[in-house]
Amino acid sequence: MESNGFNLIWLVLALPLLGFLLQALAGQRIEKAVGRRTLGALAVAPIALSFLIAVFLTQRLAGLAPGDRNVVVWGGEWIRISQLNIPFEAIVDPLSMTMVLIITGIGALIHLYATGYMSEEREYARFFTYLNLFIASMLILVLGNNLVLLFIGWEGVGLCSYLLIGFWYTDLANAKAANKAFIVNRIGDWSLTLGLFLIVAALATVFPKVSGDRILSFDTMLPALQSILKDNPALATGIALLLFGGAAGKSAQFPLYVWLPDAMAGPTPVSALIHAATMVTSGVVLLNRMHVVFECSPVASAIVCAIGAFTALFAALIAFGQTDIKKVLAYSTVSQLGFMFIGCGAGAYWTGMFHVTTHAFFKALLFLGAGAVIHAMAHEQDMRRYGKLAKYLPITFGTMLVGALAISGFPLMSGFFSKEAILGAALAGTHAQVDGFAIGEWAGLVGLVVAGLTALYMTRLTFLTFLGNEERWRTAPAEIHHESHAVAFGVSELLDLSDPHGFYKTMDSQAEEDHAHHGLTSDHTPHEVGPSMWIPLVVLAALSVFGGFLLQSNGMFEHWLQPMPLPVLGEVRTEPTTINLTMYSLIAAFAGMILGAIFYYRGLPANQGLDETKWTPLRLWQRNQFGFDQGVTTLAVEGGGDLGRSLWHWIDNGVIDGFVRGIALVATVSGGVLRQIQTGSVRLYALVMLVGVVGFLSYFLVASHLAIAVTGGR
Amino acid sequence: MNGVPIALYLGLGLFMFTIGVVGVVIRRNPIVIFMCIELMLNAVNLTFVTFARYQMSPVPAGGMARESSMMAGQMMVTFVMAVAAAEVAVGLGIMMAIFRLRQNIDVDELNILRG
Amino acid sequence: MGLLSLIIWLPLLGSALLALLPASVERYAKPVAVAIAAVTLAVSLSLLGQFQSGTYDFQLKENIAWAPAAGIHYALGLDGISLWLVILTSALSLVAMAASWYVDTRVKAMFSLLLLLEAAMLGAFLSLDLILFFTFFELTLIPMWLMIMGWGNAGRQQAANKFITYTFVGSIFMLVGIVALALRYRAVAGSLSFSIVDIQDTVANGQLWTGAIVAEGAIFWTFALAFLIKSPAFPFHTWMADTYAASPTAGPILSSVMVKMGTYGFLRFALPLFPDAVKSNAPILMTLATIGIVYGAVVAAVQPDMRRLLAFSSLSHMGFVLLGIFSLTDAGLVGGSFQQISHGVTAGGLFLLVGWLIQRRQTGELSEYGGLKLQMPHLATLFFLLLLGSVGLPSTNGFVGEFLSLLGAFQAGYWGMNGLSVGFAVVAGFGVVLAAVYLLILFQKIFYGKVENPENRRLLDLKPWEIAVASVLVVITFGSGLAPGVIIRSMEPSLQGAKLMATNPAGNRPSWKSGSPSVVDKISEPMAALLPVSNPTGGNQ
Repeated sequence: MESNGFNLIWLVLALPLLGFLLQALAGQRIEKAVGRRTLGALAVAPIALSFLIAVFLTQRLAGLAPGDRNVVVWGGEWIRISQLNIPFEAIVDPLSMTMVLIITGIGALIHLYATGYMSEEREYARFFTYLNLFIASMLILVLGNNLVLLFIGWEGVGLCSYLLIGFWYTDLANAKAANKAFIVNRIGDWSLTLGLFLIVAALATVFPKVSGDRILSFDTMLPALQSILKDNPALATGIALLLFGGAAGKSAQFPLYVWLPDAMAGPTPVSALIHAATMVTSGVVLLNRMHVVFECSPVASAIVCAIGAFTALFAALIAFGQTDIKKVLAYSTVSQLGFMFIGCGAGAYWTGMFHVTTHAFFKALLFLGAGAVIHAMAHEQDMRRYGKLAKYLPITFGTMLVGALAISGFPLMSGFFSKEAILGAALAGTHAQVDGFAIGEWAGLVGLVVAGLTALYMTRLTFLTFLGNEERWRTAPAEIHHESHAVAFGVSELLDLSDPHGFYKTMDSQAEEDHAHHGLTSDHTPHEVGPSMWIPLVVLAALSVFGGFLLQSNGMFEHWLQPMPLPVLGEVRTEPTTINLTMYSLIAAFAGMILGAIFYYRGLPANQGLDETKWTPLRLWQRNQFGFDQGVTTLAVEGGGDLGRSLWHWIDNGVIDGFVRGIALVATVSGGVLRQIQTGSVRLYALVMLVGVVGFLSYFLVASHLAIAVTGGR
Repeated sequence: MNGVPIALYLGLGLFMFTIGVVGVVIRRNPIVIFMCIELMLNAVNLTFVTFARYQMSPVPAGGMARESSMMAGQMMVTFVMAVAAAEVAVGLGIMMAIFRLRQNIDVDELNILRG
Repeated sequence: MGLLSLIIWLPLLGSALLALLPASVERYAKPVAVAIAAVTLAVSLSLLGQFQSGTYDFQLKENIAWAPAAGIHYALGLDGISLWLVILTSALSLVAMAASWYVDTRVKAMFSLLLLLEAAMLGAFLSLDLILFFTFFELTLIPMWLMIMGWGNAGRQQAANKFITYTFVGSIFMLVGIVALALRYRAVAGSLSFSIVDIQDTVANGQLWTGAIVAEGAIFWTFALAFLIKSPAFPFHTWMADTYAASPTAGPILSSVMVKMGTYGFLRFALPLFPDAVKSNAPILMTLATIGIVYGAVVAAVQPDMRRLLAFSSLSHMGFVLLGIFSLTDAGLVGGSFQQISHGVTAGGLFLLVGWLIQRRQTGELSEYGGLKLQMPHLATLFFLLLLGSVGLPSTNGFVGEFLSLLGAFQAGYWGMNGLSVGFAVVAGFGVVLAAVYLLILFQKIFYGKVENPENRRLLDLKPWEIAVASVLVVITFGSGLAPGVIIRSMEPSLQGAKLMATNPAGNRPSWKSGSPSVVDKISEPMAALLPVSNPTGGNQ
């Protein structure tokens, strides 16, 4: 298989990287010289161009025979030691190209949207620096042809996520949310690394110990793993669970989901791109990439299924307690990710990717729509202060309605097909089971319930935001908090310090930038957003409507992504024989929507209002994530802090230094005794010396005489 | 010189040394103490020269040649004298410094070495 | 005079020259010192051109009898292990001078001491004679002590004494061990020698330690104690935080090279000279390393002072070096040695930036800071990029070192040395998570939030030359993370030599002196893998 035709893949990767470097090194200068619009265009252009190249490459790939759609493009050497050769190389196959299309396609739309959304932002260039770097990292993640290269992207997207969540860093809460995201992700990465080590160790049993081969590259590794793990389910389970730990961190599965809701502190385009459409799905990509391992381990697959189902249910329940529009969407994302893992656990890996794709369409749409609402409502995110916005924001309402229907599983919308495929696989599959107990089926049933809940909370969101009976911000405007800069800066005492090195400002020229902090007032009138923001909405809405249908027709997506039979499992059915799935899922979706309409058509119920004392205990509990996040965070932060401090004080300062001080004390005490002898009188010293000399001399004299006497002079 | 028995030289040396030791221990004036130290050193010098001279007659079996053996003792004397001179120079300097500092050089009142 | 002597004597004589300069020309002291250090760096870099990778033997050897009767030689030599440490030392000495640029008092003395310290460290890395090594090893203490006492911060006296006591105690034991080793050598070889080439030859053929397991273990521990205190490893690390907090800013930077003398000592002396003791004690040392990694990270997270925080982070990072070395696997040894270099670069860079910040604000207390990113964007960016190296983000040098060290530790267990070491890899891997915790806390406390403290509002951003210096370190951080092959390729043969010296049975060990035909095959295979081969079959199937 010649890779020549696919060398263009490096261009796909290089363009966002170049964009990143341009924004990072020259962004501010360009902005000053030619203005924001040009800078924004320069941020969007590389991504859009990458997308076009990716389309071209995908067509070329599709032109190959199905068996040949696995092209490795050599890049260069990276880490090479005697046992291990980890080069830079890209893999071009249906999985990676699907992701590349999503990343660059949706990415370009969201970049376009962000040029409008962030237009009033002070650090415009910094935002697009991070965003372009994110696209590049994400591309490395999906294109890397070995797990270590994947890991570069894996941590790279985590880094970008950290930077973007903390984009408004002057608010410490955002910085802490960013820290949380990075650290929780790192726990997953720890698991992934250990999984990688275990793979290396397992491979060492078949590859010669000293070898320069690319044993970690997927094209070498996966067949080898398959042959090793087929007869060793215990090892397969170990590797699979460690890999899944990594996936759970990135894809926000229980219990590592806790970072994702907090990640909503970032700007909304970031939430759409990173925390809904692309980065959080990389766990699913990993499972698809490494599916051989999961195929060999029914136990691990069952655990994946179970955790996916639990997360889906758990997050859906929490979503009912949220009033922040982005938080609702965040929990919905967690829940939908749970669906994807149900599909992967059931052995129908392509269904997970199918949902990744459709979810990218409609969830990006929902987030961008939410962003448009937030933009129009002076950065107010509380749905309790919305209402009847459909009148003011027709395009946003229309497109968001499409998104809500898609995620709810409305017939023939994209979400309907992908969800159906997942639930079908779960209900029909026999792969995910422990001791004959079919976890997969139970996960499928839970999934049906969650599908209903999804429809319900999305209807709640839609009604609270766009419909209802009153414009609630007119009666309950947001509290306007003045950012007080009340700290008195005593300039006089600062100026008279000497400054030989030029460290300080000569005068207090730093004028605190007064953010135009226009809060949401009762006479606020929302306006529809500009074209740079509604064009992406419309495009995504179209994809949400037709995407699923197009991809599903003739099983196109399935055949493209994962030709049956699977190497270990063989055929995996996605149509259950025992129940009529389509009927049940339609019932779930419509029940959710109708119930939601009944509950919320009049607007905000009093027991969910601004006065939280009227809330039911259950809803309060839901809002607080059933206490899980708080418990874990407290345990980690407080407990970890206390552990650190007590180790420091007791071990470092107490035991170790105490031991050393003890030795020093011995010296001090004995010295204190001995110093009594040192009177300082020179004559006494001389006398003592004399006595000593006389004493020694006498001793030797006597001793030698004695010796002579004893030996008889010999 | 040949007529004088070695015991007389050594006896004189011992006598001088004893005077020196007693002087160092009982006197309080550092100048006198210095003189006493000189006395001790000279007693040792005398002993060195004496042994050197008396070793000349019988050649030690397999030992050093006559001249070098004589030279060894006398060389030590030169060393001692040089060191003594240096010591006096330094010592007097120190004493001058102490005197300037305290207007007094009684060794019994100099107890700054007390621990 | 050979190239290696030049590298040592240039800064040594430079130091003397500076000390002898009359006070009237004190203003030239800084440029002169920088010029000397720059020339030293240039000469060190020229070693790269001379260096032959592909062999574990010493190169550019120099050997002058120093005290022949006592078997002491002025013997220098270079191999892949020391090559990069020499370059690191001469580079970080320049960085330390950049950090000391704002010193106003006794400038001449300060820069003279910096050069003396540089010379001593370079000497330690290049010595092939135990006594010569010991001399340089101890010589580093004097300038460090004087620097803390002369230019340090509050609590400097106590810190300086603690520093000297700790490190000196360790090396005294090592001196005893050195003498005992030489005497043992005389007992089997008939003549006295302190040359490691001589001694190792008798180790390789099994003469030295046959029937002397206890002696081998005892002498190993005298060396190990000195190196553990120097590295520092848990529980011998308590001198570090105090020293770093009390030192002038150059102190921690050079100290982050000095600690490498500990781990280097293990590679250069312990592995080749005490193979059986190394093997039997490896689990103990790996345990200490693992404890150090996690302990240092946990304690770092609660430190109120940024220098102390970075000191404990050094404890954690140096744990990876130790872990990698004592895994006694190829990956581990390469990872450990690589981590030595990358820790030097990232920690040195962070200390440089922290030092500049502290010179401006005269405090290292984290509670005094906050919100500086808005005001000092360049400092924030550079700090963050170096921090990423310290966090071990893939594509930085920190990742390569930590990843290979952990992989080595993991493999050491899997291939049947002892199952324990898989546990080490698991626990130590958590140290990587914790590294993110304390470093992000550090960054957040300095740079995020609003500027609350009026003192901070006066601060100007870094000056252009400061940005340039720090940028070089950033480029090295990412450059050596993306192309680690440059370093690994020259390092690996020597490390494999050291590994085989430690792990092969007596009689089958390679020897610097007489080579070893029996292991040539085993050596040459990885060597072949190291040759710059072309694209392996286009990477296709």
